[in-house]
Amino acid sequence: MDFTVFLQQLINGLSLGAIYALIAVGYAMIYNILKFSNFSHGGVLGISAYAGYIAATKFNLSLIPVILVGMLTGAIVAVLVEIIAFRWIRIKHRQMVYYFVTSVTMLMLLEQILIILFGSSFVSYPYTLVKVRIIHLGSVTISVTYMLALVAAIIAFGALIYVLKKTKIGIAIRAASDDFIATSLMGINVNSVVVAAFIVSGLLGGLSGVLYGISASLSPQIGQVVVKGFIASVLGGLGNLTGVAISAVVLGVIEVFLISSIGSGLSPVVIFLLMVFFLLIRPQGFSGLNAEDKA
Amino acid sequence: MREQPVIIEIQNLTKRFGGLCAVYDFSGCLYKNQIVGIIGPNGAGKTTILNIISGIYPPTSGKVIYKGIDITGLEPHKINHIGIARTFQNIRLFEDLTVLETVMVGYSWRTTYNVLEALLSLPRVRSYEKESEEKSMHWLEMVGLQDQANVNAQSLPYGLQRRVEIARALASEPCVLLLDEPGAGLNQTEVHDLVNLIQKIYEDLSLSILIIDHRMDVIMRLCKWIYVQDFGKNIAQGTPEQIQQDPVVIKAYLGEEISNACN
Amino acid sequence: MDFYLTVALAIAVNTIAVLGTFILTGMNGMFSLGQGAFMGLGAYISAICVVNYHLPFALAILISIVISAGLAVLVGSATLRIRQDFFALATFGFGQAVIGLLTETVNVTGGAMGFSNIPHLTTPALAFISLAVAIALIWGFRRSHFRRDSLAIRSNELAAKVAGINVFKHKMTVYIISAAFAAYAGALMAFHTRYVEPAMYGWMTSVTWIIIVFFGGRDSLTGTVLGSFILLALPEILRFTSAWRILLYCIVILLIINLRPRGLFGNWELSLKSIFKFPKREKSVEAK
Repeated sequence: MDFTVFLQQLINGLSLGAIYALIAVGYAMIYNILKFSNFSHGGVLGISAYAGYIAATKFNLSLIPVILVGMLTGAIVAVLVEIIAFRWIRIKHRQMVYYFVTSVTMLMLLEQILIILFGSSFVSYPYTLVKVRIIHLGSVTISVTYMLALVAAIIAFGALIYVLKKTKIGIAIRAASDDFIATSLMGINVNSVVVAAFIVSGLLGGLSGVLYGISASLSPQIGQVVVKGFIASVLGGLGNLTGVAISAVVLGVIEVFLISSIGSGLSPVVIFLLMVFFLLIRPQGFSGLNAEDKA
Repeated sequence: MREQPVIIEIQNLTKRFGGLCAVYDFSGCLYKNQIVGIIGPNGAGKTTILNIISGIYPPTSGKVIYKGIDITGLEPHKINHIGIARTFQNIRLFEDLTVLETVMVGYSWRTTYNVLEALLSLPRVRSYEKESEEKSMHWLEMVGLQDQANVNAQSLPYGLQRRVEIARALASEPCVLLLDEPGAGLNQTEVHDLVNLIQKIYEDLSLSILIIDHRMDVIMRLCKWIYVQDFGKNIAQGTPEQIQQDPVVIKAYLGEEISNACN
Repeated sequence: MDFYLTVALAIAVNTIAVLGTFILTGMNGMFSLGQGAFMGLGAYISAICVVNYHLPFALAILISIVISAGLAVLVGSATLRIRQDFFALATFGFGQAVIGLLTETVNVTGGAMGFSNIPHLTTPALAFISLAVAIALIWGFRRSHFRRDSLAIRSNELAAKVAGINVFKHKMTVYIISAAFAAYAGALMAFHTRYVEPAMYGWMTSVTWIIIVFFGGRDSLTGTVLGSFILLALPEILRFTSAWRILLYCIVILLIINLRPRGLFGNWELSLKSIFKFPKREKSVEAK
C-alpha cells in the first residue's frame, strides 16, 4: 500500500473512529450509571439519522439545522426509551437480565418502525448538504464529510467534558456513575439525573446518527453500527470516557484497514476474535476501569 | 498450646487493591475443633482475609495452607469441595428458590448422575434427589427451619435468612466453617439465638470455625482465640480475656464496648 | 401440504429452538444473541451434507448437531467466563461472524443468495415427535439438580460457587444443550422450507426467542411452550407481515416486563400429578 493510499485510509479510519467514539461515549454514559448495556442506543441513532434525512430532503434545511434536528430527535427518543423500557425495571429493582431484554427489544422495535416507514432499501442524504465534497492536500484527497465527522466529534467532546465537569447536572451524572445509591441519599433526584444522562446520550447518539448517515448511506439497519461503539467501550474500559473514545478511534482505523484487506464479509470474524481475545486477557479494558462486584 | 493439629494456616497474607492495602502481612492459624475470631472495625480487612481463604480472589502475596496443602488461589467451588464452607456478611440467598432448595444446592456437586441421565429422567435421578432432600431436611432441622422448608427463602425475616445460609453451608458437610459477620443486621435476641446455634453446631459436628465480626458479644462468647485487625494490620492476638485487657486494643477499639461484652 | 399443518409444523420446530433459549436465557439468565447462528449452522450443515454430499438425512442432522455443539464448546470456552454484559456482546459478535462466514463462502453455501433445492424431508410426524422429545428432555432437566443450580447461578453466582457449584462447567453444559436444540431445529426447518439464507439467522431471531421465553414465563416450561405457540401463531392468525409481527412482539414483551414480569404464566407448571391423580399440589409459598 503506497503512502497516499495509506494516509487516505488513515483519515477514513479516524473519521469513522470519531463517529464510533461518539457512539461509544453515549453508550458508556448509560452503562456507568445504570450498569447495563443499552442496546437501544442503536435505535436512537437510526431514528435520528432518518429525522435528519427528512429535515434535509423534505424541508431542505442546511447542514447545521439538520444536525441539530438529529440531535434533538436523539434526545427525545432516548428519554422516551428510558420511560418505556427502563424506568419501571429500575424503580422495582428487578434483575439485570430484564434490562437486556427491553434494551434489545427497543433496538428491534425502533428498527422495525424505520422499516415500516421507509422500507428496507438504502437512501442517501442529499448531495447538496455538504457544499464542498472534496479537498486536496497535496496528493491526498480528503472527503469533507469525513473531516466534518472528526470536527463535529471534537466539538461534541469538548462540550461534553465541559458539561460533566462544570455544570451541576454533569457533576450529578458523574456522582451517580460512581455510586447511585449514595447520590440519591444526598437528596439528588435520581430520576432527573437518569433523564439528564439519557438526554446527553441521546444528543450524542443523534449526532453520530446524522454524521454516519452523511458519510455513508442510510438504511434501517444503520442502528447496528452501535455494536462497534459498544465493543470499543468495553475494550477501552467503560469507567474512563476518554479511554473509551480513544479505543473507538483505534477500532475505526483498524476496521478500515481490515475491510480494505479482507473485505467487509470477513471483517466481523476478525473483530469478533479480537474482541474475545481482549476480553479474556484484559477484561477490565485498557484503562482498567470496568467495575467488579464486591464480594 | 493445643494438641489438635492445625487445620488452616495463613502465612503472611497481603492483599492490595490498586493503591489500597486491605490486608498487610497477616499470619494466623485455626486449630481443629476450635473457634477463632478476627475482629476489628469496618475496613480493617477482615472480610478480605475470608474472601482469600474461600478463593474469591488470590492474595497479592502469602499463602493459605489447609490440612498441609497449599490452597492459595484455588477456585471457590474447589475450596468448598475440600471441606471449607462459608456464609456472607450481606446474606446471599437465591431468588426464586425455597429454603429446602437453597440448602439442596450444597449437594449439587456430589450428584451421582450426569446431565444425560438427568435429561432422560432416569430413575437414579429421582433416588439421588430424594436422598439429598432428606439430608438437606436434616440440616434444616438442625437450624430449626424444618417447618419453613417450602417457603421462598428470601421472604423470611432476616434472622431466619441467616439460618438458611448456615444450613446451606452445612450441606457441604465441611470441616471448616467461615462465618462473615454472622450477627450483622440482627437484633439482640436474634444475636443471642444465633450464638447458641453456632455453639450447638460447633459441638454436635466438631467443626472448626473462623468468625469475623466487629461486634464484641458474638466474638467474646464463642471464640477461644482472637486476632485483632486495624487498617489491614494485626495489632494483637490472644484469648478473650487477654484481648479485653490489652491496652493497644482497648485504645484502638473497645472503649465503652468492653463493659457490654463482658456481660 | 395443508396450510394449517404447515404453520403448526413451523411452530413446533421453532419451539424446539425456543426451548434451548429457555434453559439458557430464561433459567440461567445467560443473555446470548448468538442462538440464531446455531440454528443457521444446523440448517446449512445438514443441507450441505444431503444436497452436496448425498448423505442420509439422519446422519446429516447428527453431523450438524455435533459440529454445532463442538463450536459451542469453543465459543463457550472463550466467552462463558466473561461478565454478563460482555457475554451478550461476544455472542452478538459470534452471530455476526457466523453470518459473515455463511455469506462469504459463496461456493459452498450460495452466499447471500441462499441455499435452495433442499429436499422436503421433514414430515409433520418428525416435527411433532421431536417437539415432544425436546419437552421431555427439558422436563428431565428441570426435575434434576440442574434447575436449582440454574436459578442459583442466575440469582447469585458468587454464592453458587461458594456452595460448591462449578459454574463454568454448568454454564458450558447449558450452552451446549441450547446450541444443540437450536441446531436441530435449524436442520428440521431447512428440510421443511427447502430454502435457507444467512439473513434468517441473525440476532433478531435470537431476540425473538428471548421475547417468547420471557412472554410465557422464564421459570415455567409449560408457560414457555404455550407462550411460544401463542406468539408464533398469532401473526399467522392476524395475517401480519414480518415487520408488523416483530412490532407486535416488541410491544407485547414491553407490556409483559412492565406489568407482569414473571411472564404470562408466571411460575405455573403443568405437572403430571395434576393430570393423572388430582391430588393437592404442593405450591411454593411466598410470604409477600
